[in-house]
Amino acid sequence: MTQYLFGTSWKRWLPFLFLLPGLLAYFIIALGPSLATSVFSLTDVSGIPGIPINWIGFENYDEFLLRGLASRDNLAAITRTLIFMFFVTTIQFTLGLVVALLLNQGLKGTRYFRVLFFMPVILGVTIQGLIWTLFLYPLGGPVASITNDFLGLNLGFLGGPPREAFAWVIVVQIWANMGITMVIFLAGLQTVPEELYEVAEIDGANTWEIFRNVTWPLITPVVNTNLILNIIGSLQAWQLFLVLTGYKAGTQVMGYLVYAEGFGQTSGGAGASFRQGYAAAASMVLFVIVLVLGLSTQFLVQRRERRLLG
Amino acid sequence: MSTITSDEVQSAATTTVEKPSRKRKINWWRILSYLVLLIFAIVYLGPLFMLVNTSLKTTPDFFKNATSLATSLNFDNFVEAWEKASFPRLLLNSVIYTAVSTTLYIITAIFVAFPLARGLVRGHKFLYTLFVIALFLPAALIPQFQLILNLGLYNNPVGYMLFFLVNPIGIIILVGYIRTLPRELDESAAMDGCGYFRFVWQIIIPLSRPAIATVIVLHAIGIWNELILPTIYLTSEEYFPITRGLIVFQGVYGSDWPTLAAAVMMITVPMLILFLFLQRHMISGLTAGAVKG
Repeated sequence: MTQYLFGTSWKRWLPFLFLLPGLLAYFIIALGPSLATSVFSLTDVSGIPGIPINWIGFENYDEFLLRGLASRDNLAAITRTLIFMFFVTTIQFTLGLVVALLLNQGLKGTRYFRVLFFMPVILGVTIQGLIWTLFLYPLGGPVASITNDFLGLNLGFLGGPPREAFAWVIVVQIWANMGITMVIFLAGLQTVPEELYEVAEIDGANTWEIFRNVTWPLITPVVNTNLILNIIGSLQAWQLFLVLTGYKAGTQVMGYLVYAEGFGQTSGGAGASFRQGYAAAASMVLFVIVLVLGLSTQFLVQRRERRLLG
Repeated sequence: MSTITSDEVQSAATTTVEKPSRKRKINWWRILSYLVLLIFAIVYLGPLFMLVNTSLKTTPDFFKNATSLATSLNFDNFVEAWEKASFPRLLLNSVIYTAVSTTLYIITAIFVAFPLARGLVRGHKFLYTLFVIALFLPAALIPQFQLILNLGLYNNPVGYMLFFLVNPIGIIILVGYIRTLPRELDESAAMDGCGYFRFVWQIIIPLSRPAIATVIVLHAIGIWNELILPTIYLTSEEYFPITRGLIVFQGVYGSDWPTLAAAVMMITVPMLILFLFLQRHMISGLTAGAVKG
């Protein structure tokens, strides 16, 4: 602890006193509930007040993963979450890098492009979702005019078969968040010293060689940041599904499943479900997936970073 | 995750990347670059353009041909949306939620961040770690709901706003910034007999303005755009923020796209204008929020 300069005796308590409101709010509203998720997952707590809560051990997990009627669907939702993560991460990472490289050449108008590509981030999921629902309007909307009327495809967009709707949500997810990936890449690209490019050019390296041997290794820190952010972010993402497709069979991802089971938004079944213990177990499953993938990625990229940058 | 600092992000957001071109570029490369950027620009502007175009059309026009250009400027949709969606109330709610909770949050956050940055409280390292691990912990959705239910704050704006008194990322950004402020400040202020509260209020807060602006933007946009929490916790329409209101409006008038588009426009345009003015802060704030320190 640092020596306290602002007075003696009771005045030494002032920093702690002023810190308390923020700290307590954090403990009560965020940290406590977050840790309590694991406890709730071992009970049959429901979202309806006044119903007694029973301790049921690992039954929720057993039902969710192995024995329940929906366990097959749940496992499919886990797979789907991983598929969503894979496509969003690879595509968003690649496009973000390409756009950042294009905007790092000192071309005229760079500033406007950067603002434009970042724009969806500030609009939030509600507006992103509504704008794309309109853009993908199936009866003669702009995309439909090209794909269906001109190219002769028979796409149903968000109301189409689950796989197609799912693919469109991936598109919107990337559209919405590529700006962040791009800005982070740009921040990294600006740390590469100009002289290195000049030296490489004098040595006769072509554009690809310069990228491969100069730019790519030197932006390792932002490569890692973006990789981890995209992986964790896309594993947890689900809100665009809420606006774009609703809780549609064959498109559910884990985040949405937690919400739907816990707050009675499941469609199809008779009677709304408020099975919050069960939902808590589902969110623990998602947590484990995020933790395992997040930590192993972190481990791999750090090893690479040490190897490349010492 | 701490591979990039928010300062770096800030500089990426503020400095324009238009540095002198590093090579006498062969023309076709430049043309190709612009071509690719143009394709991206179309994908980014297309949905917005469709929104504007639709909001100016009459409903029969839209059903006849959804993509055709609006032939005249028809603002009836805006009037209709304004009245049907009870816009003034939704907007007022959103403004109140955002302004009140952001103000409360930023003040408490500074008084958390300063002693943690300076090590003025016992266990400051442990406390700081508690804020960092929040980003990896499981979703708190279910226990939070039980908490609010048992406090009797369900469907209560106060209960709803409680959630926005917390934002660990903001604390991390503030701690990182305050650590860069020289300790000599504390010493000379204390020597002059300045008290703790006055020192934080009159010296630390003004000096931390860039970081505070970043955190305010990050936090306020998060509240303004929040959709899930109002869906869970607010059931009376009179309490709905604009996001929830738009979704309800879509449920009722979903097929009447010109009116719905006008409603979406009335939220989108002010946000875009604000973005154009505050883009530096917004880009650095939201990116720092994603990067989390």
